Parts: sequence; C-alpha cells; structure tokens
Amino acid sequence: MLVVARHHFLVRLSHWLNVPIILGLILSGLSIYWASPIYQHKPNPSTGNFDVAADIGIWICTHVPGLQHYGSPPDWLYNHLSLGPGLLALALRLHWFCAYLLMLNGVLYGAGLVMGGGWRSLVPRRTDLLDALRMFRYYVWLPVAKLAHREWPHPTFDTKYNALQRSAYFSVPVAGSLSVATGWAIHKPMQLHWLAALFGGYDSARVWHFWLMSVYVLFVVPHVILVFADPWDTLRSMIVGWSRRVKRSGSIANGH
Amino acid sequence: MATEGKADSPQPQDRPSTAVKEGPAETRLAEKARGFFAEQPPPAIEIPPELLRYRTRRDVLLFGAGVLAALAGAGSLLPKETLGRLGLRRAMSSPGKEWLLNKALRIDDDVAEALYSVDRRVPTYSKSQITPLKNNYNGATPDPGYISNWKLTLEGLASGSNSAVDLRSLMNHFVVHEQITRLVCVEGWSAIAWWAGLRFDDLIRAYPPMPQAKWVRVESSVNLDASGRPDLYFVSLDLATARHPQTLLATQFNGQPLTVEHGAPLRLLVPVKLGLKNVKAITKLTYVVEEPTDYWVQRGYSHYDGI
Repeated sequence: MLVVARHHFLVRLSHWLNVPIILGLILSGLSIYWASPIYQHKPNPSTGNFDVAADIGIWICTHVPGLQHYGSPPDWLYNHLSLGPGLLALALRLHWFCAYLLMLNGVLYGAGLVMGGGWRSLVPRRTDLLDALRMFRYYVWLPVAKLAHREWPHPTFDTKYNALQRSAYFSVPVAGSLSVATGWAIHKPMQLHWLAALFGGYDSARVWHFWLMSVYVLFVVPHVILVFADPWDTLRSMIVGWSRRVKRSGSIANGH
Repeated sequence: MATEGKADSPQPQDRPSTAVKEGPAETRLAEKARGFFAEQPPPAIEIPPELLRYRTRRDVLLFGAGVLAALAGAGSLLPKETLGRLGLRRAMSSPGKEWLLNKALRIDDDVAEALYSVDRRVPTYSKSQITPLKNNYNGATPDPGYISNWKLTLEGLASGSNSAVDLRSLMNHFVVHEQITRLVCVEGWSAIAWWAGLRFDDLIRAYPPMPQAKWVRVESSVNLDASGRPDLYFVSLDLATARHPQTLLATQFNGQPLTVEHGAPLRLLVPVKLGLKNVKAITKLTYVVEEPTDYWVQRGYSHYDGI
C-alpha cells in the first residue's frame, strides 16, 4: 500500500502533549490572574468589586437563563475558566510545573520538525497573505454555498498545508515562544530585567503574557472544527503519522 | 544547497519482530530535493497492508493509553477544590502529587538561584516614575504603640552573645542609602517607590554573624492576623541576598520616615525577592546555619522567591 509519512513521531507526541499542558497553563494562569487582575476599575461602592472579570461573571449570571441563583456571580468566570478563585499558591506550583513541561515539549517539537523535515512546510511564503485570505473567504462562504446548492470549489494548492493552515501552524509556535519569553520576563523581572524591558517593562510584559493566551484559544476552536470537517485521514495522520493522501491537490490557480 | 539521499534509504529498524509475516520491507520511493528551504515532495512509502494495519493499531492503542494517563494525571494533580467543582469529590490528596508539584517549585527555585548574581543591580527609576504603594499588611495593621520602645534583636552573631539596637544608634552609625526600585508582589502587581535606609551588608559587617551561618531569619513580632491577634511573621533569607548592595533595612519611604502601614520603624527592602520577603517592622534577625522555616512556605509558596 502506498502511503506518505506526514508527521514525525516527535511532532505527533508533542502535539498531543500540548493539549493537557496548555490547558493546565490556562487554568492555572487564570487562577493566578485572579490574585491581581490586570483589568481593574475603581471599587464599586456597594459591592467593593474592582475586577472586570468579576463584572463579566455578574453580567453572565444576571443575563443567562438558569444562572440567576448562582451562588457567587463574581466568581463565575473563575469557577468555569480557571482552577478556581483563592488558589494562588496551588496555581503557581501547577503553572511552573506545566511551564517547564511546555518548554521541554517545545524542544521535542523542534527536534521532530528538524528530524522529519516538516519545518519546510511551515516556512511562510510571500504569497501566503493573499492565499490565506482566499482560504478564509472559502470557509466564510462555504455554509452559504452549501445552503444554496451552489458549487463552491476548495482553493487548490500543491503544498502540505494551505496558506491559512501554514500561517496558523507557524504562528502558534511563535506565540508559544513569546509566551515563554514573557513568562520568564514577569517571573524573574530583576535578574532578567532586559527581557522585561523588551516587552515594555514588567507591567506591560504581564499584559503581553495575558493576551498571548488568546492566540491558543483563537487557534484551537477552528483547528478542532476543521479537523473533524476534514476527512478522517487528517486526524488519523496526527496519531499514526502516515497519510493516504499521496498526491497533493494541484496548485492554486493564480499564476504565481 | 541540496540535501540529497537521506530519506531515500529504507528504514527497516523499527519493524516489529512478531505478529507480522515476513514480506517485502517498506520502500521509500526516490525523491529529489529542490532546495534547502523548498518544501519537499511527501516521502511516499510502499508498505505491506498488514504491517500498516499493525502499526496503526499499535499507535491508536498507544494514543488511547496516553489519553487515559493524561486524565489520571489531571485527576491527581488538580486541586481538590477544582475537582470538587467538576463533581469528583473523591479525596485525592496523594503524597505523590505534593511531591511532584513541590519538585517543580524546587527546580524553579534552583533556576532562580542559578540566575542570581550578587553583582547584578536591579533597575532603578526616577522620581517621576514612582507609583502608589498600598498598605499590603496581610492581616490587620498594628497599633503604632510598639514604635516608641522598638529595638532590633540580633542573634546568632560571631560574638556569641545577642545584641539589641535601637533606631537612634542604627541611624547614627550607618550610612543612609537611597534607591528608587520596584517592589513585585507574588500576586502580580508591583509598585515603584523611593526608599532610604542602611545597607543590610553594612549591618552584617558591624555585627558579623557566626562563621558557619548561611541564612538569616527575619521576623516581626508585631504582625497581626486578619482579626487582630498576634501572628508572628518570619521569612528566610540567604546571606548572599542579604549582602546584595540594593538590599536595605529601610527607614524612609518616599522621603518621609516609614509610617506604620509601610513597616515603621525598620523594614526589609530586598528588591531581588518577591514582596512577601520584604518584612515590615522587623524586630529580630537570627543568623543560622540551616535554612529556617518561612511563613509562606507553610502556606504552599516557594521558599526562595528570587525574582
């Protein structure tokens, strides 16, 4: 049987290890955030609340049906997106544990990319911006075209990934490196003060570190939807490594 | 720049020795590299269907085992408060979990210690960059009555006897140094403040610790808990950090004598450590050989807190 080697073993291993590690980092990270939120306002005179995340929890509990009797609305967001409020010491230990695992995992991933040669499929190209927009337009109009029973052909490409995938798979390790760098900057702001200065100082590095988290969330949602929308071969290849898609699907018809 | 030939050779070394009948080995079809950065054509492999089935089954089973292991790991590592909220009320306070998380904390402390250099100064700021610093007493703020007959007790000295010094003799005998540095709290917030006081190093020179001492226990007996009861506050500090030129025993804050809120009459200012090591209203320094206990270690935080 003719198959192609799609993902190196170390790439597959680190890909799946990322799931519990990044989840652990986000859950513990938001518990750490609870101790000193970046987004604060003047304390509310009646409740004493100053945390925007608590405001969002209160808003959710007043507007979402079925949550009107929720025990502690200010904690709603922390109770559902973090380990929970008031667990700073535990959250810090878990965060360091996962952070060291993430750095080790990054090394595994890098080794897998080099050993399997997969890094070449991630290198950005000059045509990527336009081609990524083309892919984006395809996905946006796909449901409409389906409903209207119109033909809506998938843009063709002759590379392992289409331009949108390539930009996404390139951005995530970049964001990961920046998360690690900003993490060190706010963890050791005195010994590594030059690193904090690189991100605009200690307080600014905290803001960077917080918003970098959203890259993973924004990435993971379409990533998971699309892998299930794609043929079974795509998901299977990240587990077993091989793919039956021996031929790549032609080239994007745009004259490059 | 071409990389040729590497992927061309057959790779029989990871073939299973059992369960698969001997057939032709997998063959990698020849391919040509086009350039170092150019994407390679997919390395196509001709492989017997049984071998492929065997490997696929093996990898899927391994994946499943990994998922189960990850779930079990999460179940044992997550705090019981979190598991309780997920409806998993089984008590899972295993010693292994504590060991693993403490190990991670310890590794992190070792990294911090390796990064630490007594010669490396922390950044200093200008007066225009000063930010407000709140009264962050963990419990109630003590009544200022203690200040009038305050004395600093020194134990574990080379002289073998204890000493007690009052504020006036400290102020008269030591050079006052000023610095505008950032105080970073374990919670994440920070404040830039203008401090003045004597160098801890100068005190160590004037009252040398016993020669074997590697640590100093810094304590405040005037600290109170949230309901106003006495709550002894004590931290461990390694002598290398105490000797750092920017480690002060501060007597002034923003150009004024320290107020009760900020630890009058003498507080530790150690900018290379988290705020929780910056003990307010110090009443006693004890030089010791072994690392002393720390108020916050007993509450699950790091013992080192170097930043």
